[in-house]
Amino acid sequence: MSDTPEEIKKAQKKYLLIGLILFVFTVVTVAVATVPWLDFGEHGFDARDATIGLVIATIKASLVGAIFMHLSHEKKTIYVLIVIGILMGISLMGLTGWAFQDPIEYGNSVEGDGFFNPEETVKQH
Amino acid sequence: MEIPHTVTPRKDNGLFNAKVGIWLFLASEVMLFGGLFSAYVFMRIYADYPWPERALPIVPGLINTFVLIGSSVTVVFAWASLKMRQWRRFQIFMAITIACAGIFMVLKAIEYKAKWDHQAVRVDDFTIVEGHVHYATILSNGKVEHFHTKKEAQEAGEKDAETANKVAEEKVTTAPKKKDEEFDGLGKADLWKAGKPFKANVVLFKPETIDFSVVRAHESWVNAMLEQAEKRKSRLVTARDLFIYGDIEDYSGTESEPMSSKARAEQEAQLVKKFAMADEKKDRKFGQNSLFIPAGTLLSYTLLEEAGKVFVAGRAHNAATRTTILKENWKKVKEKWPGDKYWEQASEARIDAATQLDEQVDEAGNCSAGSKVVSLVSTLSFKMDPPQPLIIKRSWIKRPVKEQDGKAELRDDTSLNAGEGEDAAPGLLESPLALSVDAIDFRWVAQKAEEAGNDPMEMIEQSWIFSKANKNGSTYRKIWKVHKKRIGQLEQSLIDKYGKDEEGKPRRVATETDRYRVTWQDFVHYARAEHDALMPGDSGFDDLRPKFWNGFAGPNHKDEEIHKLHAFPELEIPHHKVSLQSMFTPKWNTYYAIYFTLTGLHGLHVIGGAIVLSYYLFFSKGLYRRNPEWLANRVEVGGLFWHFVDLVWIFLFPILYLM
Repeated sequence: MSDTPEEIKKAQKKYLLIGLILFVFTVVTVAVATVPWLDFGEHGFDARDATIGLVIATIKASLVGAIFMHLSHEKKTIYVLIVIGILMGISLMGLTGWAFQDPIEYGNSVEGDGFFNPEETVKQH
Repeated sequence: MEIPHTVTPRKDNGLFNAKVGIWLFLASEVMLFGGLFSAYVFMRIYADYPWPERALPIVPGLINTFVLIGSSVTVVFAWASLKMRQWRRFQIFMAITIACAGIFMVLKAIEYKAKWDHQAVRVDDFTIVEGHVHYATILSNGKVEHFHTKKEAQEAGEKDAETANKVAEEKVTTAPKKKDEEFDGLGKADLWKAGKPFKANVVLFKPETIDFSVVRAHESWVNAMLEQAEKRKSRLVTARDLFIYGDIEDYSGTESEPMSSKARAEQEAQLVKKFAMADEKKDRKFGQNSLFIPAGTLLSYTLLEEAGKVFVAGRAHNAATRTTILKENWKKVKEKWPGDKYWEQASEARIDAATQLDEQVDEAGNCSAGSKVVSLVSTLSFKMDPPQPLIIKRSWIKRPVKEQDGKAELRDDTSLNAGEGEDAAPGLLESPLALSVDAIDFRWVAQKAEEAGNDPMEMIEQSWIFSKANKNGSTYRKIWKVHKKRIGQLEQSLIDKYGKDEEGKPRRVATETDRYRVTWQDFVHYARAEHDALMPGDSGFDDLRPKFWNGFAGPNHKDEEIHKLHAFPELEIPHHKVSLQSMFTPKWNTYYAIYFTLTGLHGLHVIGGAIVLSYYLFFSKGLYRRNPEWLANRVEVGGLFWHFVDLVWIFLFPILYLM
């Protein structure tokens, strides 16, 4: 951990640089969403645009976490706490996913796989 | 007592206390926001309506992203300054951070306000219309007029009141004898006052009578109607004397001395006489549980409540009586046919005959048996004198009112009734939802058409908005023509640019949103083009399109150019064509529900964080002198929370604004 005044003085340049990178990434996200010739995949919004947007957001979030929140050099206890939190968060999403596992709505294990399939649903309704 | 490990790290994990604490807290926050993001994904995948994709104006969200990232940098600088023991520098950076929080919240407030002021309507054929709802005012002659802005409506109302009062006053001076008694219905003390302008998304109803349910009437609705009646110099009174009974003793005498209906009528007549002479009509009680409401009693919620109590008492009495009679009957039947099974006896043990029996008068004219149950009064009817328009919120109404219905039923079982005859109150007044349209969305129409196997375009062109029934229809037909042509051009340009695949299908096509949604940018674009006499395909047409940085928080109806070009045309949707109306609030759809949940919760975090950081800035000089390292640790912990708030926004911005 950068604790001595000298180290911190040095680290400030890094913080500024990260801030700049975050600004640039924000501009990139907006550009990808609004400028026609940066439109990947289909014309207009689609899964690829969503992926690009979320990947950039994840990179930005990682930078904030690693540098601003000092996670790049933290003690073990903190990592354990975060990993547990994130795993819990993901399992919460998993819980919502189970809501789609409805044999009546989406077919049972014999015919369908029991999981949500948007295309199938559209056909059924 | 010295608290350990505020500055020195613990031996077991090498951390100071607060850091373990904040990370535990942040881990729980990850789960909280994770759950909400998951809800967003769930709702979006499962939405049974076209999701409002990229629906928010980007600029405020973009600026807010910059602001939060900037404040994340400054808060880490503030911490670094403390580490280097530079108090002044810490103050500056911390102040900038807090100012950023302020800017963020102000922008958020502007955004929220724009949503709250923006009307959305779902027409009954699934066309979505968005725009700024007009304002209306009720004039002294009972007519309703619509205006584009609240200010216009206010001014017109005031001007009308002024003229009306001048005319009324002239009448008084030309007929001096009647000066004090008659004033065309208005006393000098109560001149016509201009009412508050109201949004033109309500239902106006001019009832002859209103029936209230004594048990279900909703207090605030009753009071709202009373207030309006009072404002328009009208009263709500009962039309005739009414006795309501909750008790058999008042209604039908006692068991030993039953009362015939004739005798009851006589008793009632006497009571009416007595009450007519009584000075204080308020004391309406005449029996244990019974109530007398003389003609001309003014409506009040208390009156309905009292009548409700009588109703409940009567109902309880009737239920108890029926049970007793049924028990007695069973007893008799069992004695008569002791061997039978109960299901064989069931048809014999009936209660109807005993309860419906009203009176039995013997040969001598004495009453031998009276009714054992009282008749219940569940609604009280009031006359509106004179009939005046009432503003009824759409959310109060059970189902859309049609003119031929003659009445409006509210969800609390109140019924507003039109009168009969030529001079009577008409009931429903023409109360269309009037607005200046800045977007029309046919995606839902298209979705419904595809589900039914119809051609989307055909269904769209058959929708009400383009029909002859819509008096502004021609404007919208014209706009749709230009829109279709522009989308045709767009499709062609996509083919020119990206070509076709092996099967001859274009590689890229216009999106559903392109095709079926006429956005506010489209409206402005087409109005400009019309002004310059350009059509899609002409050179310069595309340059007229507004850019995403125009329209800060969405379409600006006050914009001079838009106003001059009349870019947002009027539309009046008849009341019964509206199947859902809402501002852009959580009621409108699940997208706005999750939008307000996520951004609202995030906003609360910003406020909470700013309060903590302000505490460090304004109340920590003492701690800095005593133990600067401790303060630095505190600021680090506060900063960690602040970075987390920034981190959440980093995801919220693309998800809500760009996808």
